[in-house]
Amino acid sequence: MLLFRGEEHVNRWCETRNIKRGATLTPEQGWQLAQGWYRDKLKPDWRRHTVEEAEVLMAKVGLTGAFWNLPG
Amino acid sequence: MTPSQPASEDLLRDVRLYVFDQAAETGRVPQAPEIAKSLGRAESEVQAALQQLATGRVLILAPNSGNIWAANPFCAVPTSFRIEARGKTYFGICIWDALGVVAALGTDAVIKTACGDCSEPMTLEIAGGKLRRSEGVIHFAVPAHHWWDNIGYT
Repeated sequence: MLLFRGEEHVNRWCETRNIKRGATLTPEQGWQLAQGWYRDKLKPDWRRHTVEEAEVLMAKVGLTGAFWNLPG
Repeated sequence: MTPSQPASEDLLRDVRLYVFDQAAETGRVPQAPEIAKSLGRAESEVQAALQQLATGRVLILAPNSGNIWAANPFCAVPTSFRIEARGKTYFGICIWDALGVVAALGTDAVIKTACGDCSEPMTLEIAGGKLRRSEGVIHFAVPAHHWWDNIGYT
């Protein structure tokens, strides 16, 4: 997951490398997602999110649809 | 114990906590010899535990060497995703993990990276739990279903 100056930079990066364009999100969405995903990682009782929990975290920041479906 | 024997739950927990505590406190991800010495365990036991933690996707081992590549979100090697926080420097594998380092530390931070396309320097800043300085867009090239097919590429 890379940061780009804008959508046109994403498009150029994908075209140059012949990589199918994925999905973009704002840094704010990324920050919100990172908080849900990693906030507890240092805690002694940390455990991995279940697929359902992870999909809820993504949905909360507007990441829904086939691209964001995790393997069940 | 040989590396092929499963590590106990207690050892898995001790190794996990040591690795992540050190990563957070120092910005440096410890490797098996240091972990073994600090925990008073055989290096082979710790290697087995690290392998199990990697299988459980708690952390990521470098291909072939068995070294920790990332106690994600903390990357063990310098990358182009640099986080300045608590007077220390941390690294993330990607921009999401860089934001994850800040979330895990629960502190103010500045993330310095560069545009994936043109290499122009870019900065994100978090203060008081909020993204105070922001620019650009984050691109996920790989659909979530395939993130762990090749986590290094993802």
